[in-house]
Amino acid sequence: MKVAVIGGGISGLGVAYFLAKLGAEVEVFEQKYLLYGASGRNSGGITAQFMDKELIEMALRTMKLYEKLQSEIKFNFLLRKGGYLKLSDNPRELEKEVEYQKSAGLKVKFLSPEDVKEIFPDINTNAFKAASYFKDGAVIFPWPVIWGLAKGCRELGVKIYDWTPAEVVSETEVKVKNEVKKYDVIVNAAGAWSAEINNKLGIKNDLRVVKEEICVTESLRPYIDPYIIHSNGLYLSQSMRGEIVGGIVGKAGEKSLDSSLDFLVKYAKLATKLVPKLRGLSILRQWSGVYDETKNGKPNFGFTGKVFQLNGFGKNGMSLALAYAEKASKEIMKS
Amino acid sequence: MDGRLVDHPILKFERGKEVTIYFNGKPIKAYEGETVAAALYAAGVRIFSRSFRWHRPRGFFCAIGKCSACMMEVDGIPNVRTCKVYVRDGMQVRTQTGYPNAEKDIFALADKLIDRFYPHGSHYTKFTNPLIRDFVLSQLRKMTGFGKPPKAVYEGKAKHEEISCDILVVGGGPAGMSAAINAGKYGAKVLLVDENPFLGGQLVKQTHRFFGSAKHKAGTRGIRIAKILEEELQKIPNVMVLKETKVFGIYNGGKEVGAVQKDKLLRIKPKKIIIATGAYERTLVFENNDLPGVYGAGGVQTLMNVYGIYPGTRGLIVGSGNVGLILSYQLMQAGVKVAAVVEAMPRIGGYFVHAAKIRRLGIPIYVRHTVLRALGKNKVEGAVIAELDEKWNPIKGSEKKIDCDFICVAVGLSPAHELLYQAGCKMKFVPELGGLVPLRTIYNETSVTGIYAAGDVAGIEEATAAIMSGRIASIHATVALGYGGEEAKKELEEAVKDLQEFRAGPFGEKIVSGIAKCMLSS
Ligand SMILES: Cc1cc2nc3c(=O)[nH]c(=O)nc-3n(C[C@H](O)[C@H](O)[C@H](O)COP(=O)(O)OP(=O)(O)OC[C@H]3O[C@@H](n4cnc5c(N)ncnc54)[C@H](O)[C@@H]3O)c2cc1C
Ligand SMILES: Cc1cc2nc3c(=O)[nH]c(=O)nc-3n(C[C@H](O)[C@H](O)[C@H](O)COP(=O)(O)OP(=O)(O)OC[C@H]3O[C@@H](n4cnc5c(N)ncnc54)[C@H](O)[C@@H]3O)c2cc1C
Ligand code: FES
Repeated sequence: MKVAVIGGGISGLGVAYFLAKLGAEVEVFEQKYLLYGASGRNSGGITAQFMDKELIEMALRTMKLYEKLQSEIKFNFLLRKGGYLKLSDNPRELEKEVEYQKSAGLKVKFLSPEDVKEIFPDINTNAFKAASYFKDGAVIFPWPVIWGLAKGCRELGVKIYDWTPAEVVSETEVKVKNEVKKYDVIVNAAGAWSAEINNKLGIKNDLRVVKEEICVTESLRPYIDPYIIHSNGLYLSQSMRGEIVGGIVGKAGEKSLDSSLDFLVKYAKLATKLVPKLRGLSILRQWSGVYDETKNGKPNFGFTGKVFQLNGFGKNGMSLALAYAEKASKEIMKS
Repeated sequence: MDGRLVDHPILKFERGKEVTIYFNGKPIKAYEGETVAAALYAAGVRIFSRSFRWHRPRGFFCAIGKCSACMMEVDGIPNVRTCKVYVRDGMQVRTQTGYPNAEKDIFALADKLIDRFYPHGSHYTKFTNPLIRDFVLSQLRKMTGFGKPPKAVYEGKAKHEEISCDILVVGGGPAGMSAAINAGKYGAKVLLVDENPFLGGQLVKQTHRFFGSAKHKAGTRGIRIAKILEEELQKIPNVMVLKETKVFGIYNGGKEVGAVQKDKLLRIKPKKIIIATGAYERTLVFENNDLPGVYGAGGVQTLMNVYGIYPGTRGLIVGSGNVGLILSYQLMQAGVKVAAVVEAMPRIGGYFVHAAKIRRLGIPIYVRHTVLRALGKNKVEGAVIAELDEKWNPIKGSEKKIDCDFICVAVGLSPAHELLYQAGCKMKFVPELGGLVPLRTIYNETSVTGIYAAGDVAGIEEATAAIMSGRIASIHATVALGYGGEEAKKELEEAVKDLQEFRAGPFGEKIVSGIAKCMLSS
């Protein structure tokens, strides 16, 4: 089985790794450098608080796979289990969400703002009305995930070509550096660029591109344990180095990697409203990333002809992609 | 010991009222108008923080808020760059890395042991057993981070202001001031910002008479040139100057610029932008080059000429370019001994007049030599230099110990190119110009229309050229905005010719060939 993977993000490298373990001959193409895509630009929040049984299962599987792969590849992803807090201004809706997730077997709790204060004392209890807390939620450092997966892939004989844009010319052919190569299966794991590949081949899809901006502050002694996300779009967490990493959930639209001053101003307002003691802290860096999302919030997964779709992970690729990559590898080997 | 300079043949230090600040609880004498870092240095404090991982000592270094070595907790606010804040009576200053404090850090032991047990990168590759991995992670987390989380809500009033202008000039050195003057005189609405509390850029530290032709203010001391330009600026009402204002980002192709002025965020909407951010000092790789007491020329000049504080008692100067030579002279002028000047090249880099002056003062200049290592545990207590062979390798047996308590690395400048790069200007590495520089037209416009570069940021040169290039950029921008009419257009062509003539001499040869490599057609 000869497979070409388009995209060197978590989904592309993930599927390459699992495929190689099953004995496939795999080549991964990355148009720029590893970490160029959303997988190198995200905030690393890991959760299973979804409104769909399959997504919950896949998220839990992804968390297990992180553990497993760290030991297998002998590389630490700096996965820190400090919990995942979803804050909301709409308690009734959130409570329903928690009930659903509980019925699906997820260990989540519905909390009042006062309860949240016990988890993180500096939070402003007036800035939200209720929270859903997933204790097993985590923050991962995305870079070592990609470095580790790449290491694991290479050790299994996968060829990873960076700075190599791949043009999918037919369902089994890829044009790379003016040379057309033939494969049994092509995996479209191109993140925000997946729709372009599909459109070119005439494959229908409902993928749309979302740009999301994010920034980090200077470093403080670590004291914020959970990953915190608010229904107004704000999210923040504290990295292993002590920087506060935070952003605002993106909007569908342009596919640019530009940063904006509007974002900084908005983020500063929202973040200091939620955690007033962050006032006065300097922001050191800002950047943005693009990802692709589907209308129903589930990934675009499965064969379309000979092309395997492994994209549309939206805002949650770090929480979901590994399990889907594992599943994809099995389906591809069966084909 | 009080490390403050009292007598100086050229400079007068007017110190404010005496106040007391507390450093890790210990009272320290200071004067109003001094920065916290300068006051601590004058009181003999040499360790300001510890490095993140190896817990190596970090001391006063850049003096301009760029290196982060001086970060401390000031009155409960973490991560304050103490070289940028001024003393206040009763101020509580604490080091924030190391236990119990940065000076007596018990984790300094890590420096000796860490590489043996825990080499760099091992937090990714070691401890792959799941239980140990989680334990190590939780311990690691306790060790990281700089300042303590804030205990109270910061009281500063975060303000937000929008300013529109025709031309924004970033950097108030000679290039920026000249740009502001020349755009302002034709009626453009100019905003000039500089991150320092004073204008003048590098000139502020130059106590020597400038080199160059009489037409271009040669023979005048650098500090004086800065004053002359500033006076000229003040006469133009349509030029607004904002000091202590740092530009941090250029957005939307230059239509929007972000800057901070203390607690205020400025959202500047300019029609044209002139970047005149000057240059950074380069550093040199040698053993222990991070010890407190190893400085760049700028740090030493700031300490000595701006704050009136002795950098040490005996210095070793690395680099014999004009900066190294002038600095040696300035040190002697202030009563600080210079042990030697070392130069890796086979001949002295700077102008002959400067070198002759140094030699007359009895300072040995070792050409084809380099510094091998700094000696000392917590601060510089000496240095080892050695001769270099044809292939730039140190010759065995040629090592010499130099007795000194500070080392000043003056090996040139690199353009402070970040803003240009971030704005999306096409950049190129041009050694003749000192590093990464923007492609530009003869009018100094970069590849992004409406964004110009002037002065050292466009290529390391000197103050006269900086003044002239600022003039060219600003008149071009002014004309493009419809100001100045025929007169301005005529002056523009003259200004271009002036600079070409200025660079025509033998000293300009390198610059001219460098610029040829990054020309855009206009
Ligand atoms: C700011 C931000 C914050 C986020 N926070 C979180 C979070 O907290 N938790 C979470 O779970 N998820 C988060 N996400 C989402 C997550 O990052 C993505 O869902 C995930 O990284 C998608 O991975 P991917 O491999 O599908 O795509 P990508 O990582 O984008 O990889 C696709 C790769 O394909 C390459 N490529 C495209 N076309 C071609 C071609 N023709 N030839 C060769 N290579 C090509 C691209 O260069 C790219 O590197 C965040 C995303 C962003 C932008
Ligand atoms: C020791 C020494 C001796 C020298 N002797 C001579 C001599 O004899 N003759 C001669 O002609 N030249 C001499 N020079 C060179 C001369 O000083 C410089 O070439 C000249 O100052 C460059 O001017 P500039 O305006 O480009 O940059 P600078 O003078 O460096 O000014 C840049 C300014 O921009 C500000 N800035 C930077 N970034 C930002 C930001 N993001 N936001 C706001 N402000 C910012 C900086 O704080 C600074 O004030 C000497 C230099 C040194 C170091
Ligand atoms: S930042 Fe203060 S000495 Fe460098």
